[in-house]
Amino acid sequence: MDLTLTTEQQQIVDAVRTLLTRHDTAARAKALLASDGYDHDLDSRLAEAGFTDIVAGDGTGPIEAGLVALEVAKAAGASAYAAGEIVAGKLLGANPQVPVALTRRPADFPFRFGRHARLLLIDAGDEAQALELGDGDVQPVDTDQVGWPMGRLAPGALARARNLGPGTGETLRRWWRLALAFETVGTMQGALDLTVQYVKDRVQFGRPIGEFQTLQHRLSELVVIVEGARWMALEAAFRDASPLSAATAAGRAAAAATLVARECHQMHGAIGLTREYPLHLWSTRLGPLGVELGGPLAHRREAARLRFSPQEIGAREAYWR
Amino acid sequence: MDFDWTADDIEYRAQLRGFLREALGPDWKGYKGLPPAEYKAAAGEFCRKMAARGYLTQSWPKEYGGGDAPAWRAAILSEEVGSPDGEPRGSQYMNVNWIGPAIMQFGSAEQKAYFLPRISAGNITFSQGFSEPDAGSDLASLRTRAIRDGDDYVVTGEKIWTSHTAIAEWLFLLVRTDPEEKRSKGITVLLTPMDTPGLKINKVLGFVGESAFSNPVFTEMRVPAANRLGPENGGWSVVRYALAFERIGVAHYRHAENQLNALAREANARGLMDDPAVQAKLGEAWEAVEAARLLYFRVVDLRAQGSPPTADSNVARVAGTRAYQVVAEAADLVLAEHSLGGSGRSRFNLTAGITSGATEIQLDQIATRWLNLPRPAVGARD
Repeated sequence: MDLTLTTEQQQIVDAVRTLLTRHDTAARAKALLASDGYDHDLDSRLAEAGFTDIVAGDGTGPIEAGLVALEVAKAAGASAYAAGEIVAGKLLGANPQVPVALTRRPADFPFRFGRHARLLLIDAGDEAQALELGDGDVQPVDTDQVGWPMGRLAPGALARARNLGPGTGETLRRWWRLALAFETVGTMQGALDLTVQYVKDRVQFGRPIGEFQTLQHRLSELVVIVEGARWMALEAAFRDASPLSAATAAGRAAAAATLVARECHQMHGAIGLTREYPLHLWSTRLGPLGVELGGPLAHRREAARLRFSPQEIGAREAYWR
Repeated sequence: MDFDWTADDIEYRAQLRGFLREALGPDWKGYKGLPPAEYKAAAGEFCRKMAARGYLTQSWPKEYGGGDAPAWRAAILSEEVGSPDGEPRGSQYMNVNWIGPAIMQFGSAEQKAYFLPRISAGNITFSQGFSEPDAGSDLASLRTRAIRDGDDYVVTGEKIWTSHTAIAEWLFLLVRTDPEEKRSKGITVLLTPMDTPGLKINKVLGFVGESAFSNPVFTEMRVPAANRLGPENGGWSVVRYALAFERIGVAHYRHAENQLNALAREANARGLMDDPAVQAKLGEAWEAVEAARLLYFRVVDLRAQGSPPTADSNVARVAGTRAYQVVAEAADLVLAEHSLGGSGRSRFNLTAGITSGATEIQLDQIATRWLNLPRPAVGARD
């Protein structure tokens, strides 16, 4: 057991943080919102810095890719980095170096990154499918209250999807759950950091509202939930997104997403509801993240199926006997 | 970053299990129902066996007869010894985990020479005399008064929620030596023999499980000044030091996971495992147990690196409490009337957030020490 980042892992985190700060990532994301845009420049910078071939790299793997995905999400990057590097990287063997979107059959609902995606990976049950997206394949959807560019498939486009082979559906789902856990944790952390700073600065009743215990306890509860989810994502990465560890991490993160968004808004009051103030960059992204791949119900049912089968209970009890 | 046990740790765990099977027997079901004298004898015998094999004080420094074992070994021991049937060490874990270390840090040469060999041999039992009727979470407001008179302190007052008084020979007693200092500054620790004249024990029956607490009352009880641990009015530092050790003492998630396994067995037997609501709740409970385990591991990891205590231990404590609570909710969902509702089949549901530091105090600590929020305008202060 060693739950401390290695020197190399810490260097990766520091490097991507520096990159994201220099890129002025959140401000760009905010500017792109008006046009439902995508931060292609950020993807280029991440690629130039070598972060787009680390999930199966030399001395790097899912933990390193997950740490980068978490930082990109925490900085509100308008990028599909996690899907491209972690999910496509593992499913296809390499990051395709184009924006990647993820959806599942029947694919009749909106997915993140919409018309910007050039590759769509589809959970079709036993098999995964891939669909190269061209102009007209994705239709825009109204994203008034959603911080991601969203889109839905045009009628007929799904027919061109090609099967990736038996068993690939499971591979897609577990790496998707891992990527989702990291993105959700990073997005929650971004919202939480902003909120903690806000309650320190905002003065009402003659004192910073962060002095009120009613807010302190609620923020502390969020720390417990987000920290738990972060460690679960890291362990799932260490376990190469084993189906149980990935479903457990995704369930925890997805269930927390709604709570974190609601609490951070509540503690901000009305200022958090404005376009000018940036909380919405994180909070409105938590909605789609929380329901992706079926949301907490689907993740938890999968975890329970795997963890509480009579065989698995027996094996666990035998271990502790 | 490595979430696997090392080969050394796996070997250590296997040896420890062999020892536990041998020392407790394969059918050990706890000390439930034993009268105090027999409970004390049984726990004492087990501790002496642990001591003989070097397990009891494995984490202590070598100069005090310990094994200088790495922090992860203490975590493995906690996972293995903390059985769902109870704590075979009885209250000895308390002596080993924090009373011994506090004596090492603050004790006189005589105190070290007297207490440490007895603790490491498993031959002494302490009770913890902290809480008072008007000083629970607000421990620093304690009022039990000790007045210096020659070579003695004369103690008058009372404690409550004191465990293990029926078997303990000593009381780790917090008293107020400076009545002008209202809070933490006027507090002193007195290591007090339980048979001291002027000490009377009243019993307080608990409704949860088989627990009974005590209400020790002190009437002009004379304790030699030589029994003071640390400086006069310096007891708060001793307590803070001691509790930093106590707070990661127990692998609570192991109890919660055991309960959850038993529950899932019943859900399978009752044919409920295909019910989406049951699946979702069991999945949620499993997440809570895993979160508690990983956050506890993080505290052990920090300890292994020699880090001073941080608010990570408060985060882990809250997560551990939440795990019990979600498992209790799952029990009610799966077992319905058979669960007897919350407190019946899963008693930790009601106690986990209270024992050794209320959840609200943990949340205060996270707010001030993790988030660096200002001391609350309304709430706890030291």
